[in-house]
Amino acid sequence: MKRFNIYLVGLVLSLIGCKEPFTPETTSKNSNILVVEGFINAGLDSTIIKLSRTVILTNKNVINPETGATLIIETSANEARTLVEKEKGLYVTSALNFGVNKKYRLKIRTNKGANYVSDFVDARVAPPIDSVNYVVKPEGLQLYVNASDPANNTRYYRWEYEESWIFYSRYNSSSIWKGGPIAVERYPEESIFKCWGNAKSSTILLGSSIKLSKDVIHLSPLTDIVSSSERLTEKYSILVKQYALNKETYEFWQNLKKNTESLGSIFDVLPSQLTGNIRNEADGSEPVIGYISAGTTQQRRIFIEKSDLPKWQVKDPYGCMLPDTVPLFRQKDIFPGNLIVPIEAIYSPAGFLIAHLASSRACVDCTIRGTVKKPIFWQ
Amino acid sequence: MRFSCFYICCLLFLTLKLAAQQTDGLYSVDYRQTKVSSVVAGLEAKSGLHFYYDKLSVDSVLITAKVDRKPLNVVLTTIFQNTEINFVIHEKNIFLTRNKSIKAEIAEGYYADRIKRPPTQNELAKTMDSDLDDQTEKTLNAVTPNKIYEIGIKSNILKKGIGIVAGYVKDLRSEEPIEGAVISTADFKIKAVSNEQGLYSISLPYGPHLLNVKASGNRDSKRQVVVYGDGKLNIELREKVVSLKEVKIVSNKASNVKSLEMGVNRLDMKTIKKIPAVFGEPDILRVVLTLPGVQSVGEASTGFNVRGGSADQNLILLNDATVYNPSHFFGFFSAFNPDIVKDVQLYKSTIPEKFGGRLASVLEVTNREGDKSKITGSAGIGLLTSRFNIEGPIDSGKTSFIFGGRTTYSNWMLKLLPAEYEKSKADFHDFNLGLNHQINEKHTISLSAYYSKDNFKLNSDTNYNYNNRNVSLKWKHSINQKLNGALTLASDFYEYNIKSDVNQVNAYKLNFNINQSTLKYDMVYALNSKHTLNFGISSIHYKLSPGNFTPLGNESLVVPDIVPTEQALESAIFIGDQFDVSNDFSINAGLRYSFYNYLGPQVIRNYPSNLPITEDNLLGTTTYGKNKFINSYGGPEIRVSARYNFKPDLSVKAAYNTLRQYIHLLSNTTAIAPTDVWKLSDPNIKPQFGDQVSLGLYKNFETQGYETSVEVYYKKLKDFLDYRSGANLVLNQHIETDLISTKGKAYGIEFLIKRNYGKLNGWMSYAYSRTQLKMDDITIGPLVNRGEYYPANYDKPHAFNFTGNYRFKHRYNLSLNLTYSTGRPITLPIAKFNYGGSERVYYADRNANRIPDYFRSDVSFNIEGNHKVHQRLHNSYTIGFYNLTGRKNPYSVYYVQEGGVISGYKLSIFASVIPFINYNIKF
Repeated sequence: MKRFNIYLVGLVLSLIGCKEPFTPETTSKNSNILVVEGFINAGLDSTIIKLSRTVILTNKNVINPETGATLIIETSANEARTLVEKEKGLYVTSALNFGVNKKYRLKIRTNKGANYVSDFVDARVAPPIDSVNYVVKPEGLQLYVNASDPANNTRYYRWEYEESWIFYSRYNSSSIWKGGPIAVERYPEESIFKCWGNAKSSTILLGSSIKLSKDVIHLSPLTDIVSSSERLTEKYSILVKQYALNKETYEFWQNLKKNTESLGSIFDVLPSQLTGNIRNEADGSEPVIGYISAGTTQQRRIFIEKSDLPKWQVKDPYGCMLPDTVPLFRQKDIFPGNLIVPIEAIYSPAGFLIAHLASSRACVDCTIRGTVKKPIFWQ
Repeated sequence: MRFSCFYICCLLFLTLKLAAQQTDGLYSVDYRQTKVSSVVAGLEAKSGLHFYYDKLSVDSVLITAKVDRKPLNVVLTTIFQNTEINFVIHEKNIFLTRNKSIKAEIAEGYYADRIKRPPTQNELAKTMDSDLDDQTEKTLNAVTPNKIYEIGIKSNILKKGIGIVAGYVKDLRSEEPIEGAVISTADFKIKAVSNEQGLYSISLPYGPHLLNVKASGNRDSKRQVVVYGDGKLNIELREKVVSLKEVKIVSNKASNVKSLEMGVNRLDMKTIKKIPAVFGEPDILRVVLTLPGVQSVGEASTGFNVRGGSADQNLILLNDATVYNPSHFFGFFSAFNPDIVKDVQLYKSTIPEKFGGRLASVLEVTNREGDKSKITGSAGIGLLTSRFNIEGPIDSGKTSFIFGGRTTYSNWMLKLLPAEYEKSKADFHDFNLGLNHQINEKHTISLSAYYSKDNFKLNSDTNYNYNNRNVSLKWKHSINQKLNGALTLASDFYEYNIKSDVNQVNAYKLNFNINQSTLKYDMVYALNSKHTLNFGISSIHYKLSPGNFTPLGNESLVVPDIVPTEQALESAIFIGDQFDVSNDFSINAGLRYSFYNYLGPQVIRNYPSNLPITEDNLLGTTTYGKNKFINSYGGPEIRVSARYNFKPDLSVKAAYNTLRQYIHLLSNTTAIAPTDVWKLSDPNIKPQFGDQVSLGLYKNFETQGYETSVEVYYKKLKDFLDYRSGANLVLNQHIETDLISTKGKAYGIEFLIKRNYGKLNGWMSYAYSRTQLKMDDITIGPLVNRGEYYPANYDKPHAFNFTGNYRFKHRYNLSLNLTYSTGRPITLPIAKFNYGGSERVYYADRNANRIPDYFRSDVSFNIEGNHKVHQRLHNSYTIGFYNLTGRKNPYSVYYVQEGGVISGYKLSIFASVIPFINYNIKF
């Protein structure tokens, strides 16, 4: 009977389908399309615009910044502000202070002399986030956002989030290699045991109340955290940033989401071409990726303490083994590579230092996945 | 009486033994379906004579004869009298030949001795004028091949002239009409085919004739007639139980070359049941997919594409009712109950003028009529589904019923899955009911009803269900010998509902439904031996709710969003003439005039004629009152085909067809999704128009039982609907802004080899076909692929199919099915970039790439229980493997972002070998 069950389960699984990695042959021609990502902040925050170029699919490295361009933000009232290239392909300006009752657009002149312009867009004022909260499920946490606009004006929403959390390396190191001949004592300010991890949202989070009688977003999912995640070691925080969109911007993001996040089911929608609001002034048919919108943002941060959650077991992401013993005479060969990091000193019964315990860096040094510096917002 | 092979052999052996003891020059024999070689061996042993014959040419002939103590020449005459075999006795040698022309001469000479001189011209004229109606009221029921039936008033002098013999071809046991039976003279020069009511009409010169009757599922048979005048002759055929010579496809041995039809495939349930099916349950639509020119949309779908047509360009008729969603359970099962269906016909080239409204094909599924003699039934048990049917007479042989039901119990299986699937469920059920009442000889009335419901939810909080409801009522009547009519009233309903209630604020219900009422009247008039006219009218009223989006529950804030109901009337008038110019040359010329009216109440959005239809270009709206004609479309549709026979077994055919389609399925998914909506043509969405020219060559190799054909076609499509990038098709109040009309062309060549009988039978087909679309009109909107031709979603250039059945023992047979096709086109990204916190991909040209090729092999082993007729229950089993090689055929290839990185995946639906077993009981 048991076998019968297994067989049937297998049958249904095969029914549901089998997904496996696959790299189809695609074009090797680099289309080198200009990508413009950013948001014109009409409020009191800085504006950041990223310029890059597409790469071919088989490229490992997707980073291909467009440097040396001149970017100007213009308003319908003929105000203008030039952006400064802070990093490669990253163009920034401090708060514009032009106000929200104007239309905005972005002009780009690449260092090769091509001129691009985005359509004039209204500045959309984001209403405050009502709340960010979570639900405890057997498999972990589900985080949600609630939003509303009493004036029923917003209707289309987009969120981004940034997570931060405390975590610890597997071993707390009290020794440090400072060039030898042997490892020495680690001062508390050199500790690499407790860190803050950080991650940004990578999925497109959209919500719309257009089909509802009130402009209310109820429990729109942000992210799931599995119960064994390192994020839930001690304390976790999420900062949610809310944007108000107009219909066209919403459709652009939705299209991008459909094309890159929602494929893979039986009833797949066919991928579609992405149309943004930026064009080459000399050649309207040149594809340009990106949609420049303008407005203000709202944000909200919450903290979740381990003590508020069920007693979940956090899984060590590296599966660390027991530490090895590194005798003093071997240390100058082993520690300089920084792949094996000392943990603590071992003394003989007579009280002589004879060796150090050590483990791989990933098990000792939390800074490879985070920072020991406490974030300024951390409470 | 039905005997298994074993019994026949025993019986034969016994008879031969007895006969061997007779030495007085008289012989007794008793053969049932016995091979000529066995007959010869027996007679040689008894008589001491030698037989000379070509074993290859005569051994496919089976002998059934019984003679009691007769001289050898009488014995031989009796044995071979209804076969194509001639014998000559020369001294101690007997020569057997199988040659039609010799046979024909001998047959005529044989009769000529007995029958007196033909009448003079004067006598003939009198005969033609005389009214024979009174005398021909008597209907002959021709049951056996051995009796001579006299048609008309018997006269001593056989006049010269032509008599019309008409009647029904029926199954002897169930009394069901047999469609597609070919009644022909011995030389195949004159022939007729029975229509769906079993009715045939054949014009025969006065005199004796040997009629061949061939029908699938029934034994080939012969009838001896002497025609003295017009008359009725009902032919009752025995069902073929002994599967010694199974006919695999109804496209008949003789009819493929001789018939006027092109690109028509008929399948009966016997064929369908032998083909391995995914869960062991015979599936009509999957068998249709093995025919040349038909391609599958995808593995989990029963949607199909015929000669470059989209899935919605197939008119799917179940007993004259239109079935809008022919699938169950995500498309893994087709909506037709295999125990109820009698046969299936697919028209892909010569579409008869009585059909219209779809561009690519007509799939006509006909259910059986209930058995009029006794209550019988069957039940089938499979892993996922069970089915049951019962049929029988209601009163004294005039009325019968048939009922069938199917259900699935897959829910319990989904419960065995890991917790992440706990929210999944899927079930369906369907019911068929058929009632048939013969009022009298001339009037028959039948009712057919179909109900199906599907519910599913796959690991999500959204509940889907859809529902087909069809009722059709048909009154068939024979006005006189030459004129027959059928009046059909049908009501078809299809709906789907989507429900989601997990988030109480957003909880909603979405309903789509379509209501169709059909009235049609078809007539057949057998004008004379050269002309048969088909004509009639039809009218369809559509009422369609494109989408009702409503709140679910008290807390829901959803604002009801209702896309206004649409109405339209599609009517047609048609006439066709089948004109047999000569024995070798026939033409079928048909004309259908269809007209379409879009009806109010409706608010029509107006757009300028030379600008793209977009929201920005909206000029204004016009409001029309209830049942007001908003706009009309229409035009003639030409259906012409011709056939010329070079030789009796070699013919060439050509056909030209035009078709118009007024209702469209809007789907921007690859497979037909249960959430796709239908849309009626309106002032902003033109009807689709297609025309096709095709040419075919047909050759039969009768002695080996092979039938071959080559067909080429070229098809043009106009106003074929495709979609703007990112089109939103559900609840769209201005759907025309998301549609683009394209031009299309499809062409291809199809090869088919079929073997209809023998131990190994089946068919093999190869098709090369292309389907390309083009959107090059800047006034419609942005060009697709720069206005160049691009392949349609279902363009698969190479397709190969093999479907074979090998019967190695009487009760055991093995079926094998092989399918290969080029992968379907897909749109793959050309570049990647970073956006919104992750890698993203950029898509450019539509359908510029393909998924890997498709190959699948299925095998099934069918075991039938013993064939004793009088036992209570008959059992059969089917065991087999679907996708025997376990090849992971990709259903789709796609890129998706996961944790900020883009990865490519291949999704396969049936990614491993799927074993199945099915148990059937017949009672």
